[in-house]
Amino acid sequence: MKRPVAVVGVGQTKHSARRAEVSIPGLVREAVDRALLDAGLEHRDIDAVVIGKAPDMLEGVMQPEQFMAGAIGAHLKPLVRIHTAGSVGATTALAAVTHVASGLFERVLTIAFEKQSEGNAMWALSPNMPFMPPLVAGAGGYFAPYVRAYIARTNAPPHIGPMIAANARDNAGRNPCAHLQEPMTVDDVMQSPMLWEPIRYLETCPSSDGAIAMVVASEAAAKKGPRRPAWIKGGASYAEAMWVPGRDQVNPAAGRACAKHVYEQAGITDPWKQIDTAEIYVPFSWFEAMWLENLGFCDIGEGWKIVERGEQKFGAHLPINPSGGVLCSNPIGASGMLRLGEAALQVMGRAGEHQVDGATTALGHAYGGGAQYFAMWVVGSERP
Amino acid sequence: MTQLRNIAVVGFAQAPIVAHDAHRMSQEMLYPVVREALAQCGVERDAIDYQTAGSADYVDGRPFGFVAALDVMGTWPPRQDSHLEMDAAFAAHYAWIRMQAGECDTALVVGYGKVSEGQPERVLNLQLDPYYLAPLGLGPLSTSALQASAYMARSGATDRDLAEIAARNRAAGARNANAQLRTPASADELQRTAWAVEPLRQGYIPPIGESAVCVILAAQGKAESMTKQPAWIHGVDQRAELQTLGARDLTRSASARLACEKALAMAGLGGANDVDVIEMLTTNPVEEMIVRDAMGLPARGDTKPVINPSGGPIAGHPLMMTGLIRLGEAFRQLSGTADGHAVPNARRAIVHAGQGHALQQNLVFVLGRERRWS
Repeated sequence: MKRPVAVVGVGQTKHSARRAEVSIPGLVREAVDRALLDAGLEHRDIDAVVIGKAPDMLEGVMQPEQFMAGAIGAHLKPLVRIHTAGSVGATTALAAVTHVASGLFERVLTIAFEKQSEGNAMWALSPNMPFMPPLVAGAGGYFAPYVRAYIARTNAPPHIGPMIAANARDNAGRNPCAHLQEPMTVDDVMQSPMLWEPIRYLETCPSSDGAIAMVVASEAAAKKGPRRPAWIKGGASYAEAMWVPGRDQVNPAAGRACAKHVYEQAGITDPWKQIDTAEIYVPFSWFEAMWLENLGFCDIGEGWKIVERGEQKFGAHLPINPSGGVLCSNPIGASGMLRLGEAALQVMGRAGEHQVDGATTALGHAYGGGAQYFAMWVVGSERP
Repeated sequence: MTQLRNIAVVGFAQAPIVAHDAHRMSQEMLYPVVREALAQCGVERDAIDYQTAGSADYVDGRPFGFVAALDVMGTWPPRQDSHLEMDAAFAAHYAWIRMQAGECDTALVVGYGKVSEGQPERVLNLQLDPYYLAPLGLGPLSTSALQASAYMARSGATDRDLAEIAARNRAAGARNANAQLRTPASADELQRTAWAVEPLRQGYIPPIGESAVCVILAAQGKAESMTKQPAWIHGVDQRAELQTLGARDLTRSASARLACEKALAMAGLGGANDVDVIEMLTTNPVEEMIVRDAMGLPARGDTKPVINPSGGPIAGHPLMMTGLIRLGEAFRQLSGTADGHAVPNARRAIVHAGQGHALQQNLVFVLGRERRWS
């Protein structure tokens, strides 16, 4: 990056199944207003708006940022819309960082949202591809075979997924914005219906309505803000092709390449030791164990053992998803930015009840497509 | 102002615009175009640091349509990547910003999509406010017609003025090997065509078209070895405005005016008359008049810069890539590869692109044969 960039404001909605009492822009404005208030700014202070969401079919509005341009304060400003499948929220925030890093923009408002109650996610996420039999199985049906492959490779015991799901729910209990907060035990998860073997109902993310917005700013602008900022220490987004012989969806090359690039920028050589907490994209329980390996927190085959030892729990060595993560709130297009925003809140020391004590370096991570799109940042409490 | 890098368009390839390619999927149309652009630059995919694309799921008729493009963009091993749900010209602008941030030195930018597989008038209805406008059934033709009526009432422009602009574009399109409409048509002929939606006639609007487009951008130090004559980006800016038709003056484009002023200022130029050629994403003659006005040019009659020597969108409008084609056309003009539709001695160009109903969002590039910054 050409110059330092910081997060100076974060705002999000309470995520829930159905926000019938607000329109799409009404939902988005809740997050935007909170982010601007948090940053001590108004729309007139913003130089550009960078917005992202997952497929437009989820709400049935094509390029909804166009009709929302006024509501999000983009009138007569640059407006950029990103879409990189499930990773989009993270890619969007990184695009905002790039805008500021270029030196051309001082303060950029970045937004991600999904109002899933407006449509039917299972339908929208079951594309009918040319020359392929339709699975009509949504994302869970798509990803379950990769989870089975992970279990086959590592001999992980069957309770690992349920342990991850129960821990996420425990974490969500400390996050007032989380969608699913009802406590549940590992046994509750094991008793819940099997949806896509080995993924059970309670190991699956919900469909949520929700939005998040952040203001990212230059160093000069950050210094004028009311808050201690979160500094971007590294960020990147990578993709890989779908049809490649030998491509590994369990431990994707794009995820490894992206993490390597981000760690290099952030000066991280041992993520297990140098990162205090991570918000990673876990839409189905087992992906937590898989991504711990893909992100280099441990050796291949060791991710599930971290879970079994409880080292990723709140208060343990490396708290994963202290917010409750995607398993407890999944406004799809916003989920990636929520990971990055929650990581920022941790190093700002402002995560409230789910604050990880003394967190100074945090990872935010998202993935999407057929485990093809990866986007992440490392944020820190100190200026890089 | 921050210190900016000299960045140029160094390669451009497009599939000739056709009404319907019955034999190829969008990614099959895109693959040879990516290969051709790389070949023009004499490089393999490994030489490119970053890739980005512009397309729309609703044009593809499926979620995640852009994922299919990864396979033909050479996304293996994994590449730094992004995708904009916008006309691909905006993806080029974003790639330029990334290069200004020092995050890459070269970028591959593509646009694609098969609009013929859907019904654009119905699909683009879904861009409108879902509570107030979309249920009325308006499509882009209807919103354009409302804009055209308002403009004609304010300016006194006549049906004949519209016909003459359409005829000029059609004559230019006849000289462009990649245009979809390659037969010239006189203003008289066009004025006799039926109303599409009054006051816009069938002869004034583009046919449904599809293509695939690839632009390669490179920074100073790399650009010079990738092409004989780079088209250096001297200035660029984009601006959106409210969609609500009743909340803006449809007879003027405030966002196009502002984007043009900012881009010209970055380029160090006094006005649009300082360039030799302009490519505009204007999908009917009234849009052209409004954008000309926003650029400070006379809305009708001859202008010093040649406008749309390619024939412009009226001679071929593949949704989500029409804007990127404008950037490619400027490269052709400045690099001396425009062949049959070359503007003699073109040294500077303006590119206008946009998206949304009634010119809602506008992007302006200024390009030149010389580097902008020392």
